[in-house]
Amino acid sequence: MRVVVAASVSALVIAAPTSAFAVDYLSADQAAKLMFPEADAFEARNVTLDAAQLQQLDAQGVRGRSASWPVRVAKRAGATLGFVVTDAVIGKVELIDYAVGIALDGNIRQVEILSYRESHGFEIRLPAWRKQFVGKGSASTLRTGDDIANISGATLSCNHVTDGVRRIVAVVALARRGGTLA
Amino acid sequence: MNAPLHASTGWTRRAQPLLGSLVEIGVRDDGANACEAVDAAFAAVREVQACLSRFEADSDISRFHALRRGESLPMRTSTSCVLAAARMLQLDTDGAFDISLGSAPDGWRCEGGRLLKLDDSVQLDLGGIGKGHAVDCAVAALIANGCTTGWVNAGGDLRGFGDAEWPIRLRDEVTGGVRPFASLYDGAFATSHYDRHSRSRLAHAVGGSIVRAHVSVAAPLCLWADALTKVIAISGDTAHPLLARFGARAWSH
Repeated sequence: MRVVVAASVSALVIAAPTSAFAVDYLSADQAAKLMFPEADAFEARNVTLDAAQLQQLDAQGVRGRSASWPVRVAKRAGATLGFVVTDAVIGKVELIDYAVGIALDGNIRQVEILSYRESHGFEIRLPAWRKQFVGKGSASTLRTGDDIANISGATLSCNHVTDGVRRIVAVVALARRGGTLA
Repeated sequence: MNAPLHASTGWTRRAQPLLGSLVEIGVRDDGANACEAVDAAFAAVREVQACLSRFEADSDISRFHALRRGESLPMRTSTSCVLAAARMLQLDTDGAFDISLGSAPDGWRCEGGRLLKLDDSVQLDLGGIGKGHAVDCAVAALIANGCTTGWVNAGGDLRGFGDAEWPIRLRDEVTGGVRPFASLYDGAFATSHYDRHSRSRLAHAVGGSIVRAHVSVAAPLCLWADALTKVIAISGDTAHPLLARFGARAWSH
C-alpha cells in the first residue's frame, strides 16, 4: 500500500469544493442486454397508467410519481422473457439513472446503475442544472468524471433508488394485470 | 456476456445499489472476462449483505437477534470473519469499538464456528465494519476471476489493486461537491463523517455523548480502513497505536 496526499491538501481543505462529478456506466440498451443475455430482441414500449391505476399504486403505499414509464420487453423467438424499466431519481446531491430487470414471475432479476452525477446540494435543485441531462443518452452526456476517480466520504444513501425499484416492480405488476404489458 | 462493456475506454465499470449505498466496481480490460468477474464481485457483496444485514430476515445477524439468551447459531464465513475482527477491536480499544452500540457489549460470543447469545438485550450493528469486509470480498472475487487491476468502492469505502494509482476525492457531506485528497496504490481508503446532520451516529462508550469527527484511514485491507475510522473518530487520535498494527494511516479533516 502507498498513499500520497495531494500536495496542496491544506489549502484544499479550506477551499469550498466546487467540482461536479459524473460517470456513465451503461446505456439502457447495454443494461437490457446484460440483464437478459438470452434475448434476441427488445421491444420498446411505453407504459401509461391511468388515474385509477395510480390510485391503486397509492393504496399499495407506492407513490406513483409518473404516469408514463419506458419499458423494454425482452423477447426470444417471439416469447416474452421479462421487462427492463429505466428511471431517474434525484437525491440531496445526486442524480441517478438506473434500470431494473424484472422476470416473468415478477421478481427482480437485476438492478444496474446507468449513470451517476453529483454536485452541490443546492445546485442540483436548480432547474437549469437538471435540464442539461434531459434527453441525453450516454453518448452525448458530459463526462467530467471520465478519469477513474474514487470518492470517499459520508456514505451516500441509495434510499431513493431502493424506493424507485419498489415503485417500478409495482408499476410493472399493475400494467401486466391491466393488460397494457403482455 | 462475452464482450466487455465500454471496451473502448479500456475499463469495465458498473454500479449497483447494495449495502444501503452504491457499490461501484471497475476493472481494466486486459484479457480476463471482465464482465463475468464483475458479476462475481457483485455476487460476493450480496453474499456479505445476506450474512450481515440487519434488514434481511435470513441474515445471520437477524437470526441472531431472534435467538434467546443461551441459544446459538452456526455462522457463515463472512459473519465469523467480521465478528472476530470486531471482538479484537473491542478488546484493543477498551470497549470503545462496540458493534452492540451499547446494547450489551459482552452479550455475544463466537465459539467453535457458532455465535452465542449471552444477553437478551444485545443488538448487533455491523454497519461500521461490514462494508469494508464486503469490499475485500469483492476484490478477492475479481482477482480470483483473473483481473489484474481494478477497484471496488462501496459508498466511500474503497480499495484499489494492481498496477494503478487511484486518485481519491473526498465528498463534503454538508455542502456537497468533491475535492482531490490523495492518490492510493494497492490499498484501501475509508472516510467517516459524524456530525449533527450526518446520517451515521457514533457515541462515546462512556457518557454516551455524540462524536463529532471527519476522519479518513488508509490501510491494506478495507475491513481495517472502515473499522479504524470509527476508532480514530472516537479517540480523536490520528496517531492511534492500533494503526501501526494494520499498516494504516489516518487523517482528520
